[in-house]
Amino acid sequence: MGKVTGFLEIKRKGPPRRPVEERIRDWKEVYLPFPEPEMQKQGARCMDCGIPFCHQGCPLGNIVPDWNDLVYRDQWRDAIDRLHATNNFPEWTGRLCPAPCEGACVLGINDDPVTIKQIEQSIIEHAFEAGWVEATPPAVRTGKRVAIIGSGPAGLAAAAQLNAAGHWVTVFERDDRIGGLLRYGIPEFKMEKRFLDRRLQIMEKEGIAFRTNAHVGVSVPVDELRSEFGAIVLAGGACWPRDLQVPGRELRGIHFAMEYLTLQNKRCEGDSVPDDTFITAHGKRVVIIGGGDTGADCLGTVHRQGAHSVHQFELLPRPPDERARDNPWPQWPNIFRVSSAHEEGGARVYSVSTQRFTGDAEGRVEQLHAAQVEMVHKAGRLDFTPIPGSEFTLDVDLVLLAMGFLGPERPGMLTDLGVKLTERGNVWRDLNWMTSVPGVFACGDMQRGQSLIVWAIAEGRSAARGVDQYLMGVSELPAPLP
Amino acid sequence: MPGVGLISPPPHHDIYSIEDLAQLIHDLKNANPRARIHVKLVAEVGVGTVAAGVSKAHSDVVLISGHDGGTGASPLTSIKHGGIPWELGLAETQQVLVLNNLRDRIVVQVDGQMKTGRDVLIAALLGAEEYGFSTAPLVVMGCIMMRVCHLNTCPVGIATQDPELRKRFTGGPEFVTNFFRYVAEEVREYMAQLGFRSIDEMIGRVDCLDLRPAVSHWKAKGLDYSQILHQPDVPPTVARRCVRAQDHGLQKALDNMLIARCAEAILHRKPVELSLPIRNVNRTVGTMMGYEITSRHGGEGLPDDTITIHFTGSAGQSFGAFVPRGVTFTLEGDANDYWGKGLSGGKLSVFPPRESTFVPEENIIIGNVALYGATSGEAYVRGLAGERFAVRNSGAYTVVEGVGDHGCEYMTGGRVVVLGPTGRNFAAGMSGGIAYVLDLAGDFRRRCNLGMVDLEPLDQAEDIRLVRDLITRHTACTKSDYAARILGDWIAMQPRFVKIMPKDYKRVLLAEARARAEGRPPTFAELVGATSG
Repeated sequence: MGKVTGFLEIKRKGPPRRPVEERIRDWKEVYLPFPEPEMQKQGARCMDCGIPFCHQGCPLGNIVPDWNDLVYRDQWRDAIDRLHATNNFPEWTGRLCPAPCEGACVLGINDDPVTIKQIEQSIIEHAFEAGWVEATPPAVRTGKRVAIIGSGPAGLAAAAQLNAAGHWVTVFERDDRIGGLLRYGIPEFKMEKRFLDRRLQIMEKEGIAFRTNAHVGVSVPVDELRSEFGAIVLAGGACWPRDLQVPGRELRGIHFAMEYLTLQNKRCEGDSVPDDTFITAHGKRVVIIGGGDTGADCLGTVHRQGAHSVHQFELLPRPPDERARDNPWPQWPNIFRVSSAHEEGGARVYSVSTQRFTGDAEGRVEQLHAAQVEMVHKAGRLDFTPIPGSEFTLDVDLVLLAMGFLGPERPGMLTDLGVKLTERGNVWRDLNWMTSVPGVFACGDMQRGQSLIVWAIAEGRSAARGVDQYLMGVSELPAPLP
Repeated sequence: MPGVGLISPPPHHDIYSIEDLAQLIHDLKNANPRARIHVKLVAEVGVGTVAAGVSKAHSDVVLISGHDGGTGASPLTSIKHGGIPWELGLAETQQVLVLNNLRDRIVVQVDGQMKTGRDVLIAALLGAEEYGFSTAPLVVMGCIMMRVCHLNTCPVGIATQDPELRKRFTGGPEFVTNFFRYVAEEVREYMAQLGFRSIDEMIGRVDCLDLRPAVSHWKAKGLDYSQILHQPDVPPTVARRCVRAQDHGLQKALDNMLIARCAEAILHRKPVELSLPIRNVNRTVGTMMGYEITSRHGGEGLPDDTITIHFTGSAGQSFGAFVPRGVTFTLEGDANDYWGKGLSGGKLSVFPPRESTFVPEENIIIGNVALYGATSGEAYVRGLAGERFAVRNSGAYTVVEGVGDHGCEYMTGGRVVVLGPTGRNFAAGMSGGIAYVLDLAGDFRRRCNLGMVDLEPLDQAEDIRLVRDLITRHTACTKSDYAARILGDWIAMQPRFVKIMPKDYKRVLLAEARARAEGRPPTFAELVGATSG
């Protein structure tokens, strides 16, 4: 176990962020490197709990205390083996996961939790540097073929697992590059895309085929897949954005977050996006509607594009600085957080609801009209009632809607396949991760609804077991989720 | 003592039979007549028979302890494989007690992972009237089952005395009261369903237990519960729960007279001296009087020799057990087992009648297990003691002229001088205190258990002074001419003494002395004997 008294002697410490002035002038990641000896000391803070709640906090079931201890003891090779045993892509979760493990960390009851996420990232980066992460194609091929639709974290996790089990895997992606939201949703400053490409190269060497610009249900007929592949895994995500249905929504200058982020990400990839199709915040007065992670991604991008001003609106009230009484450990802490983008500027406005937009003669958005709201619990639901007299108006040139996603897009593939949907509009699946259509499986946001990268990987891994079992009768693949 | 290993579970070398247990219960009741005496039994096959013995031995409560558990120092085998589920042990206990009409005089308590009101209800129906909870309330208080209770690093400040760690404790007593309120409410709901108005009505009503829902589970197929749910066929006059108190026979104790005649001393510290005859029906003499003293004057007791009683005759078991400071008993005659058990500051001496013709140093004068678990005080024995002399002594000073097997076993403190032969296995598990044996035959090394002790000569001035002083007092108290001869021939005798010194204890004493000389507290590393870092 880690150092017995480590948690008493060592304070939580993570890598510093680059100065705001410096980092908003480029698209590189915001964190500076953290020296390994310091990281090892952080590993010593782990208490090797009798009942480690981090296991439950992590959907992947990462065996956190084991690798914390191995890092403390300078046994990095064993640490990456233990980490890879439960997580295919620690270099992505180590950067992007909001770390529910840390929310569940026992030390967090009365102290700062262990820097689990940072330790995870340093293990995998150490391993890459040491050359320990190599392509390991399966020794035996089963001859079965699996199509995976969607190349986000869920699809890629399922692909990696099924390939390791010996199946021939082809990943279909409707966009021009592999990665799904990882590629075009996550801004470069949160994860430089070279870390995505680095892993994809290894997966290709392991025998996974990637087909881009292949929009199943549009450019690739569903029937073709059915005849060519023994099983199909639907991992197309939940890309149907929640809209703001208020007067003036049709005005120019109001965009969904994902349209906006994708264009900037393409430019970061080196693509030439013409100015007339590009959406920029440069010199504009910007309002981001939605106070979540996507909103924060927009915020960081807006800063880097050089906006005149930016407001981020949130319907809910400001969360408390510390856990509320009804939000005890080991639940996910609903507390006020300052992400790197928030640190860089902009005004966060809480308990606010946008009522309508007004525009100029040319149909461009000019003003946003909003009101403060009061949150009331009504019959088990949250209700927001405008406070009379609190209405206000804001001059605005660009509005970004980051209000979450309603579920998978239904026209095309899902309709063509004829899979059953749940009441919420997600793809229904049985306990074996199979949809209502035999041989067609579903995982990730497509069956779960919008969620975290770590859930996506866990779902991909679990669905892979279901597919393997369907194809082979038995499976030795692990399934973190039931 | 920091630096000296703890032996767990503590060996009970005073209990080898149900009669021994009965005597212990009697001694404890004398030591505090207002306390209920509990006997805790591990739930296992045959526990009912033991419980019947415990009831006959006049225990006020028997606790059937199920599931696993033990102290932090317990061997894993004891922790994991000691007990079976409490339901099994409880059912057997209730049936045996009722069948033998022994249930009416004893309270049955049960514990071992009780968590809910349903557990309480089942326990009541199976025959228990008291229910012990521990893990659940601990968790309610904030225990997160780190399983580091033995490391002093409890991160929620429960299993620790470290002030820094205790700051992390965020629990409150109201959490625990709330938990038990829920448990009680659940019990009440079940009682209402079953039509019971009081817990008393429910005790032993196994006929109200139904198992159909459990049997419908595939794992329960083939299980036969009839023995657990058996209701003994006894007449309605036989009680199924405790309806009367145990008769401990305290009103017949000699101590009632001692307390009356020493009232001036007990109440006002005025010296009292008595001479009384004693017979072996007088058990546990002096203990209840000791209770009267300590309940008034605390652990300090009375000034030395405030109460002096000269007994003549043959004393029963547990003579002078637990007597506190200020009480001095002399006994001209002999004594049974447990002489001076748990001695707590008093002074005892025993010597043969003046007119006896046998050679005292060759004859046994007191029985087995003398000075068992003594904590302080002095005791002088003119003659030989039986087996297990001064076992688990932790502070008493004593002189005896010879002992049987297992002398000074598990001793942790105090000083023992043996002026004659010892039995085998001397000093087994002895982790503290010092013994000095006059090894006239020269074969002591063979009889000593050298697992934890070293044998040294008696050559340090401090030791010589102590041994001579103790023998002198022995001579004064018992008129031992044998001891007087040893003192008279000291030059020849001193080299024949062997000093029995526990290894860890010696290291700790040296570390403490060194630290004292340097005017600082000893370090942890010094105490545990770490050689580096």
